[in-house]
Amino acid sequence: MRNWILSGRAGLLLLAVVLALAPLGFGNPYHYDIAIHVLINAIVAVGLNLLVGYAGQVSLGHAGFFGLGAYVTGILSAHYGWHTLLSIPMALVVVAVLAFAVARPILRLSGHYLAMATLGLGILITIVLRTEGWLTGGPDGMIVPPIEILGWQLFGEAYWYALMAALLVLAVWLALNLIDSPVGRALRAVHGSDVAAQVAGVNTTRYKVLIFVVSAVFAALTGALTAHYSGFITPDLGGFMRSIEFVTMVVLGGMASTFGAIVGALVLTLLPQLLTGFDELEMVVFGAVLMAVIIFMPRGLVPSLRTLIGRFLR
Amino acid sequence: MTHLLETSNLTKTFGGVHAVADLSFGVEAGAIQAIIGPNGAGKTTLINLLTGIYTPSAGDVRIDGRDTRGLPPHRLAGLGLSRTFQNLQICMNMSALENVMVGRHLRMNRSFTAALLRLPALRRGDADCRRRAAELMDFVGLGDLTERDADTLSYGALKRLEIARALASEPKLLLLDEPAAGLNANETAAIETLIRRVAELGITVILVEHDMKLVMAISDRILVLDHGKQLAIGTPAEVRADPAVISAYLGAA
Ligand SMILES: Nc1ncnc2c1ncn2[C@@H]1O[C@H](COP(=O)(O)OP(=O)(O)OP(=O)(O)O)[C@@H](O)[C@H]1O
Ligand SMILES: [Mg+2]
Repeated sequence: MRNWILSGRAGLLLLAVVLALAPLGFGNPYHYDIAIHVLINAIVAVGLNLLVGYAGQVSLGHAGFFGLGAYVTGILSAHYGWHTLLSIPMALVVVAVLAFAVARPILRLSGHYLAMATLGLGILITIVLRTEGWLTGGPDGMIVPPIEILGWQLFGEAYWYALMAALLVLAVWLALNLIDSPVGRALRAVHGSDVAAQVAGVNTTRYKVLIFVVSAVFAALTGALTAHYSGFITPDLGGFMRSIEFVTMVVLGGMASTFGAIVGALVLTLLPQLLTGFDELEMVVFGAVLMAVIIFMPRGLVPSLRTLIGRFLR
Repeated sequence: MTHLLETSNLTKTFGGVHAVADLSFGVEAGAIQAIIGPNGAGKTTLINLLTGIYTPSAGDVRIDGRDTRGLPPHRLAGLGLSRTFQNLQICMNMSALENVMVGRHLRMNRSFTAALLRLPALRRGDADCRRRAAELMDFVGLGDLTERDADTLSYGALKRLEIARALASEPKLLLLDEPAAGLNANETAAIETLIRRVAELGITVILVEHDMKLVMAISDRILVLDHGKQLAIGTPAEVRADPAVISAYLGAA
């Protein structure tokens, strides 16, 4: 029983129930909108956590993949009249190919160098989005048409909430499956001891590239959907600040904890909303909360709480 | 006499240092081959050359007659090589059992799609892997620690855990880099028994070790290194009687 409560399967069930019941507490479209942004960030964080938390590879440029996903589907559907059911998969393909192409040289680096390289990649993507105004609308952004399925437009916060909630549950299910598999153990071994993984027969380079591409695709899918949800995108979607936010979600919630990534996304999305009352002090309080968590729960929120609950259930 | 592993003129230099110099020797299948020598003699460097962590500056390594030049460690693992490390290389982010399960990587279903969807075949394979890993932990004497996180194990237990992980791939050749270093007399005796039992399974063992009592007791043959070069090679009795060895190494001890 104790094992089941602490296992991912119980968490997945709990997540589905919470997501299904949450709308009962939503009073207006604004609540839905915030919830959708929590879900968007959570999906990206779950994917990024596979790379950062489990495989131990830093990426400070993941918003770049998010932004690129948004712009590819945005440009194809708005300027070239592509059907959204084609332009979104195309966005995933473009990001997957780019991530695959840069992964080998980038992942040969480690530590600070890997952080710098991914940071550079993210910045490069935003520069392109900003300067190629003829295609992207430049810094002012561009309008993106809604998703259309058989003549029916996906419109309204409730539908989007349902879609993103289902996607998050799917993403968590896939992530939990992956982690508890030979591939997932190989990835975690790369983090624990690269050389031990190698002599155990793990092609470490291949696995690092694989998970880099997978986490980039998570970001791209979410970015593409965000573009059609909000109907308007700017290069800031892929910006440096967003990349830092995604990594902070993973670290705050707890590295190598899928549910930690979700809690991290929840806290980091809601906190600024709750702190608007503090006016100029908002960022100060925000920073103080983050520092307090990292100082008192260095492993992140969820792993620390799990230990507590585990002790309680013994 | 069949050699599972052979080197010819194997050499590794770091800057000006000849860490391994012009080594040609063979290891018989099924034997326990010890490699001894003073600190800095090049023992670990040799193990790293044999397992593909380092590429030779000159010379080559053959396994079952096959030239291993250019093969990375994970490919050599596929040829039946497995090893432990002088400085522990345990994945502290995983459970003890999972560390051993990683050792079975090459014998597992490594399909990414099957993993994502947790297909039944993969689930069965994982359950089987878990069972075998638990058996191996039992084999090395860690049977009651399967549920533990690796970072809660003692140093002595971690040394054994590495051996269990190395055995998990069902290797032909197991290379142990100082398995008894830092262990007390009781623990060393247990490692001796363990190595004997590994050899009884038909696994060839290359053993780097400073503990002379252990080496003399279980080795079929001993290679003595000094400054990267072969000082002597032979049975424990031959090596013990070798004047060069006595003056350069055993005599000093
Ligand atoms: N990566 C490296 N770079 C530079 N020099 C190295 C490297 N690895 C080993 N050496 C040098 O090669 C020589 C042999 O080192 P090695 O670690 O193989 O010795 P060893 O026989 O394993 O010693 P010990 O008994 O202390 O473990 C030493 O002089 C060492 O400083
Ligand atoms: Mg050594």
